[in-house]
Amino acid sequence: MALVFASLAATYIGPGFSLGFAGRGFKSGFLFLGIGLAYALQNILVGLLVAPRLRGLNGCHTLGEAIGQKYGKRCHVLAGAISVGLCAGFAAVMAKAGGEVVHDIFGLPPALSVIVVVALTALFPTIGGLRANVVADSFQFITFSLLLPLMLLLVLSIHLKGGPAAFAAQASAATVEGLSSTSTLEIIGLVAAFLLGETLIPPYANRALACRTTNVSRNSFILAGLFSMFWFMVMISLGITARSIIPADTGEDVVLLNLVKSVMPTFGRAILFVALVSVVTSSLDSLLNAGAVAFTQDVVKSFVKLSDDLALKVGRAATLAIAAVAAVGAVAVPSIIGGLLICYTVWAPSILPTLIIGLWIKNPRPLAGTLSMGVGTVAAVTFWIILWLIFKFVYPANVEIPPLVIIPALAAALLAYAAGHWIEKHKSGA
Amino acid sequence: MELLLFIIVIIGALVVIASGIWVAISLINSNKRAR
Repeated sequence: MALVFASLAATYIGPGFSLGFAGRGFKSGFLFLGIGLAYALQNILVGLLVAPRLRGLNGCHTLGEAIGQKYGKRCHVLAGAISVGLCAGFAAVMAKAGGEVVHDIFGLPPALSVIVVVALTALFPTIGGLRANVVADSFQFITFSLLLPLMLLLVLSIHLKGGPAAFAAQASAATVEGLSSTSTLEIIGLVAAFLLGETLIPPYANRALACRTTNVSRNSFILAGLFSMFWFMVMISLGITARSIIPADTGEDVVLLNLVKSVMPTFGRAILFVALVSVVTSSLDSLLNAGAVAFTQDVVKSFVKLSDDLALKVGRAATLAIAAVAAVGAVAVPSIIGGLLICYTVWAPSILPTLIIGLWIKNPRPLAGTLSMGVGTVAAVTFWIILWLIFKFVYPANVEIPPLVIIPALAAALLAYAAGHWIEKHKSGA
Repeated sequence: MELLLFIIVIIGALVVIASGIWVAISLINSNKRAR
């Protein structure tokens, strides 16, 4: 179970939950710890309520297959296509973050840094598949779960002048700043995004489905959720300590990198950069693998019969193709957390109602699944574009759009599900 | 209060380190079993 837990934790602790959270700790103190707790709660709820049901399905290896088993072929393909797109989107965020770390260490041009990270990471899943992923994730988990908290202890004991009082003063000032610059509506949206946006994305779902027993599946998710609370506390605290060490105008994505450079001796700095590269690659390789598996199992195999050998080749080609899309897409990612929030906003409405309701009700209707996935995806993208146009041209303001989109888009997906269920139920008379 | 916050943060860091050690031991044991 320890290895499944480590693999889950290494997958979700990407640059967003390390570089991104340290940056948010720097700017808004413990505000983001509260928001991060929604993510921890989500993992625990998935472990208690959803993962065992998902693992209980027979012969499913991907989320698309699970949805296909409940709703039929059309929904299987649609869920697969959404999974591939989402994995490419998340991978683009990871590629941007990895590029920033490599650019910072080696001084390579930003575009070349992204290409180096993506190309090297794509080798793991291309050559080794899910098994190589899980073992690599465990090594990477060990690396960063030892080094980053040790760095926090070092900063607290040596570099932070003033001890506990100074830490509390910085935490309080940052949290007040964060609360004053974030509206209540945005906070509610952020909590919803972190509660739902990463729920059972393909790499997590693959791990839930691949567990030996339902107990291992349930306990791994619960442990991963509990662990995330402590992890977020470490990252946010690193960001808070950075306030008295690095300049106040430091960009949020480079707070942790600049802190490492400021406080660590050369040798320690090199080791910590290895840990940060591990953080990025452990998430990126899982996303590339999950995207490739979804493409092969859910999309291609639904139309063409493939031998195992040919399926492996298609999977490897898909890994490389998704890696290429991620490298190109990295240019368009606004910031690490900003990029993650955009992916959350599309994932939650497009897949969650169909998946979770399908696992709980007795006779899920194919039309309900199709409508919910279609309407959820279109609504998320449309609301996002409308709000972007409003805040760009009508009422110019620097507002984080995704948290405002997720709840209405989710509501639209739920209504579409209810409508599809009702129509098909009355058509069939059952 | 300030000291309590400080202690909670340090305990959080120690829990994360302990998790890393636990996974390291499990990985070594699973490799031994595989051999």
